[in-house]
Amino acid sequence: MKRIFLLAACTAMTACTGHIASTQISELDEARAMIQQAKDAGAEKCAPALQAKAVVKMYHAAHEITDEVGSHPDENAELLADALATAKKAYVKAKKGCAKPVLEVIRLEGVFFETNSAKLTVASMAVLDNAVKTLQKRADINVEVAAHTDSKGKAAYNLGLSNRRATSVMNYFLGHGIKAARLTSQGYGETQPRADNSTVEGRAKNRRVSLRVK
Amino acid sequence: MKRLSLLAVAMLVFASSAAAADWKVSVDDRYDSLYAQLKDNNSYQAHLAREFASVAVEEKMQHDIGVAKAFMDKAEEHAAQAGSMK
Repeated sequence: MKRIFLLAACTAMTACTGHIASTQISELDEARAMIQQAKDAGAEKCAPALQAKAVVKMYHAAHEITDEVGSHPDENAELLADALATAKKAYVKAKKGCAKPVLEVIRLEGVFFETNSAKLTVASMAVLDNAVKTLQKRADINVEVAAHTDSKGKAAYNLGLSNRRATSVMNYFLGHGIKAARLTSQGYGETQPRADNSTVEGRAKNRRVSLRVK
Repeated sequence: MKRLSLLAVAMLVFASSAAAADWKVSVDDRYDSLYAQLKDNNSYQAHLAREFASVAVEEKMQHDIGVAKAFMDKAEEHAAQAGSMK
């Protein structure tokens, strides 16, 4: 009888306790590895909802697998498969979302045009000759020739001028053996200033040409 | 001796039913509170907290009160971490 009493007391005291099972069990090896892979791919940042779901499903599966009371192999297998599938989704999403290509920009310092014109100055040609060498060396890249103006004058005019200047530089490259398939040109007018347009120095910085590697 | 055995049985019944009733309310309340706390928080820690809390409620529904509490504790740990990451 004392034993019964002891059992009742213990039950009363421990009725509220519980713990989360360890996920370090062999059944979870695959899911755990996939979750780690997703984490390494940046899933916590790029696919937080999916990654969290995968992690908690793994914990839930661990609990169900190690639970001694009322074991259900089918349900456990389903939980495991679910944890793995969710982790895979998190990994795929992270790979897509986090691995954004870094746009490389090659600045062509010293490329100038005659005022209000797309005609290149003689001094600019030396800079462009160096750019041609770069494009020949890096035969695997395609580039967009991007031209910008300062904000003096009307925006529409500046846009047209920058388009003509970008085309002028692209034509220079074409004339020096760079394949047309590797080149595009785009004028941005005054829309992407790099410096303050209210100063002479700032406007000079804003009038520029660069190559955007695609 | 009969009294003692009656007392023991009464304690067993009370321990399971009263505790279960207590935790039923408690887990639900904690779940609601956690969801309110994490409203509009989409950080990884917040998602973890919500997922753990959902499992806690699921376990509570299956009368696995101890485990429900453990999952809710885990949920609240992550909710606390999510607080500064909003």
